[in-house]
Formats: sequence, structure tokens, C-alpha cells
Amino acid sequence: MKFYYFHLMPYPLDHDEPSSWVTLSNRHYDPAVGHTLYHQYLDQLEYAEQLGWDGLCVNEHHQNCYGTMASPNVMAAMLVRRTRRAKIAILGNGLPLRENPLRIAEEIAMLDVVSGGRVISGFVRGIGAEYFSTGVNPTHSRERFYEAADLIIRAWTEEGPFPYDGQFYRYHYVNPWPRPLQKPHPPVWCPSQGSSETVEWAAARRFPYLMVFTPLKRIAQIYGEYREACERHGYTASRYQLTVNLPIVVAENDAKAEAIARRNVLWVYNVGLRMLPPFWQPPGYVTEPSLRRVLANRPKLPTELTFEDLEAGGYMIVGSPATVRDKLRVFADELRAGIVCSGMNAGSHEATLEMMQLFAEEVMPHFREDAGVDETLLAGRVR
Amino acid sequence: MAGSWPSGSTAERVAPQVTPRRIVVRDTPVDMLVAGTGPPLLFLHGAGGAGRWLRFQDRLAERFTVYFPSHPGHGGSPAAEWIEHISDLAFHYLDLLDEVGIDRVHLVGASFGGWIAAEIATMASHRLASLVLIDPVGIKIDGWIYPFLFGMELPQIVATVFHNPAAALALAPGDLTNIDTLALLYRQNTALARVAWNPYLYDPLLRRRLARITASTLVAWGAHDRLAPVAVSADAWVSRIPGAKLRVFADSGHVPHLEEPDAVADAVTEFCTAHEAMR
Repeated sequence: MKFYYFHLMPYPLDHDEPSSWVTLSNRHYDPAVGHTLYHQYLDQLEYAEQLGWDGLCVNEHHQNCYGTMASPNVMAAMLVRRTRRAKIAILGNGLPLRENPLRIAEEIAMLDVVSGGRVISGFVRGIGAEYFSTGVNPTHSRERFYEAADLIIRAWTEEGPFPYDGQFYRYHYVNPWPRPLQKPHPPVWCPSQGSSETVEWAAARRFPYLMVFTPLKRIAQIYGEYREACERHGYTASRYQLTVNLPIVVAENDAKAEAIARRNVLWVYNVGLRMLPPFWQPPGYVTEPSLRRVLANRPKLPTELTFEDLEAGGYMIVGSPATVRDKLRVFADELRAGIVCSGMNAGSHEATLEMMQLFAEEVMPHFREDAGVDETLLAGRVR
Repeated sequence: MAGSWPSGSTAERVAPQVTPRRIVVRDTPVDMLVAGTGPPLLFLHGAGGAGRWLRFQDRLAERFTVYFPSHPGHGGSPAAEWIEHISDLAFHYLDLLDEVGIDRVHLVGASFGGWIAAEIATMASHRLASLVLIDPVGIKIDGWIYPFLFGMELPQIVATVFHNPAAALALAPGDLTNIDTLALLYRQNTALARVAWNPYLYDPLLRRRLARITASTLVAWGAHDRLAPVAVSADAWVSRIPGAKLRVFADSGHVPHLEEPDAVADAVTEFCTAHEAMR
């Protein structure tokens, strides 16, 4: 099993506003506090490499207190020079949100060259709220995503200059310097929310597919659909194309772990993901069949979830090292996943570092049967 | 959003003389309500108004043959992927006139429908016997940004659009726990956003082109419109459309044809009839 340390870099604000996204006034953001938080979060990511994590994950979100990495490439740039071994996984850049996606091709190539080929490039559409933050027309989201992805991969793999004439993006000269170091291009991952169209798109290209903050049952169902799609495309999905992606809370015993989780994990769902209903699904962001599928399942909103829901639904793993090992094994088997992407939050920075160490010493070593394998070798690239 | 309320089952609301028709305009299927006798009048609805044949349309049908189509993606008209810009809708309605066989028409548009109507008038005023714009959106108003209905929940939308919230009941959506109802609302919102998300509710090219309109034009406005306030908006339209007349309706918000249907229908009928006689 491979372990990736996943960070959101939240601004852990408790507030009574109706939304933690888009409309939550940035007067609540204190840059002095932010200074301390950013450094603690980057320290945690760097420490994760020292403790043996295989990858470090950053991601893009806008205008919210849930995750303050408006530019994941900026955070990745800080990490590449402070780390030597771990993969730097950007999960990911919101392709449709950019007016000039060639800039993403350039930035990822820069990071890849500087890091010596350690970059994993996630391609995402951005969540619904991001279309309110950026002004990009959500009815174009999917088409812009496919087109930008095509453009970026061509920019990485084809000798320039060449012209590109798309529906949204047009260039007479596509010729980015530098070119990425990894060949044919940095692995592409596809974090998504389970729409059948994206599952199909990722499977066809061997792009690893991951779902975040979703109940285990639904992830298992979507991953099943992804595997079927891979078979239709003539290959069997590698287990490194699928991840277990959830918060993990480990402490010396179950009771302590639960107390920590009640304080910290619940905030992510009940506060961090609190959003005005219109922000969840802007018009045209999902297709009608996907919308109908969601409406038929009627999952609880994050703000409606209790600690017990999170436990029972498999939204997180909480417990002593032994409990976490057992659950992780069950989750990994159920999802047939080869990578665990998870972040930790024990309340304070120091306590989080301790929790990371406990996990690295008491959990990780029990899952190292594949220590010599490069998880990016067979996944993430069109063949 | 506002008005992406579904037509629902219009059957019980539709007055007996109203005929639902399904026509095909250049491969695009359109649901249309038709009633009345007299010169042809094309009514273009606003967001949420698709298929809602109400007192306003009844009154117009006393003097005109009223054609009331649902925009593609609204009400019973299926979404049309090819519609990417407001001018696509304007051309769609010029094609509809050809399909139905109408040479000249009284064109009445409300809100979003007023935007489409204004675009049509800049392209083909010679097809219009007269033009009525009811609280239109569609041009950039200096010093004003239209409130972003896409980011609002229903109560806030109603408060923005209606001066008299009771009038909103006529557009009330069906059962909001029903998947088909929610899917229709989403489809309508998507069709609207496709052409109106950004720039929001206007076409940067339209304002200058209003000067091309040669049709006799009545601009009707609700005195309490909070989406496009009369004080900042009306003059921007009336001053640019040659000869345009303004009528303000004192007890209305953004949708005077729903809030004061008789008064607005009388004004429209009087204006159109006067210009019918002048032909």
C-alpha cells in the first residue's frame, strides 16, 4: 500500500454564516493567523516525507475557509525544493476555471523539472461553488475540462510549436518551455464526484480516479463502474488507479481517537462544507442523468452528518493503531485500492505531528508489501 | 432560481380555448400555446414563465391571436444544445415566425423574453408590427449590476422579482420533492445560464444596437422592480430606442404583467391596436 498525505490547509473558523464558501466574508481571515497556519501545514507535509509517506497532496479551492490553497501550484512549488523523495500530487488544478490552460502545462512542467520528475498532475473541474467564485459559465464546465486536458497533454507530449483551435481555447503557437521531465508526461489523476461521464473519460485514459469525502458504499460503487469501464477499454485497472481517500484519526486508544475526531473531523463536514444550496450544483455543472442519480440517492448534506453518520458511513477512519489497521485493511479490500490519501488533524500542530508519527510507526509498516513498486509506472498516462 | 419554475401540468390551468401545439423550428422542437383571434402577437416569456398561460395572456387573446412558445430547455420544449448565445434565440424566433407563416407580428417580451425581443428588433424590425418590452434585461446599465439570482434561494428570489409576493404563486413550482420537477427546474436554469451567466443578463453588443430598432416600441416597467430598477434602467432603454414610450406600473415589481395583468394587458392592447391601425 502507498500512503499519500492529503492536506486541505483549512482556516478553522467557527461561524454562523449560512455558507463557508463564496459569500463568507474575508474579513474573517486574519493574515497573521494565516501566516502561522501556512507554515504549520507546510511543516506537516514536509514531516510526512520524513516519516515515510510516499506522496504529498495539495489542491485548489477558492473563496472559502475549508481549504485555503487558491493556487495548488504555489504550494507545490514550496514543497519541491524542501523534499527529495516524495511524489508531489496536485489534486488538482481546476482546468475549466482557467482562461489560459497552457499556463497549467507550463507550471506543472516547471515543477516536474525542478522536482526531478516527482509531480502528479490532478485534473479537476472545480466544485460547484468555484463557478460562483470565478464567473466561469458552469454550463461550459465539462467541455472546457475535456478541451483543456487535451490541450495540456498535447502541449506536454508533442513537439512545438503547433497551432490549437478549440471551442474555448485557441493558439497559433503551442510551444511551452520547459517540457516536463517525466515521459511521456507527468501522471494525471482524476479526482471527481462520480459522474458516469468522468468515470468513462478517466478509465479510457488510465488516469487514476479518486473520490473525496464520500461514503464508502458510494465510492465502492463508482470504483466498480470505473473498473468495468477499464475492462471495456481492454485492460484491467491497476490497484494504483484507485485510492482510499478519507480523514484518519489515530490515537493510543479508541476513546482518545474518538474524542479528537468529534472535535476536528466533524468541523470539515458541518462547517467547512457548509454551503448555500445553489452553490452545490450550478446550472449545467452536472448532466441531467447524473442529477437524477444524485436526487434518487438523496445523500445527506455534509451539514446534516453526525459523528455517528461519519463512522457508520465510512467517511473516516478513527481509532487505536490496531483499529485503524483493521479498518484500513477492510476499506482497501472493499475498494481494491492501492493508495491511501489522507490527512490528519489532532487539533494543535504539535499534536498533529505526534499523530502522524504514531501512524507512521504503528500503521504504515503493516502495509508495506509493495515497498519496491513505483505506483505511477503503469497509471496516469494515455497509452 | 426565479423563475425556473416548471410549467408542470398546464392542463388544469389552461383556459379551454388555449391550444397546446408542438412544432419543429429548424429541427428544434417547440411547445407552444395558442389562443385568440385577430392579428398575430408573439409573447416571449421570462425565466420561470414557460407554459404559464395566465390572466395577462387571456386578456391579450381577446384582441389578438397569441402565440406563446416555451424557450428551448424551458417548460415542455426540450433543451437545444446549439443555443449558445442570446442571438441564437433571436434567430430561433425569426425562424419560428417563418415556420408558422407569420409575416409581421406584435412582439411582446417580458424580462429575459424582453431581452430576446430587443435582439430580434435590432435584427429585423421590418417583421414587427410593434414591440413591447416589459421590464427587459439584456443591456449593461451604467451604475447597476443585476442581482445574481443564480446564487439565491427561493425566498430571496421571490423578494427580488415580485413587489407583491402573492403574485408569485401563479408561477409556483410543483412538488419540490419530485425528481421530475427538480430536473425540469435544473434544465431551465441550465438553458438560461448557457446564454446569461457571464455576462450576466446582458449582451455587451446590444446597447449600441438598440438605435437600429424602427418598430414602434412601448417600454413597460414595474415601479418597484428590484432586479432592474426603473430609475436606473428605463431611461437607458427609452433613450436609445427611437421614439420609444415608457409606461410605469405603480403596484408592480419586475413582472407587472403578473402583478397588474389587466392594466398591463390594456396598455399593450391599446398600444398594439394603435400601431395596427397605422400600418
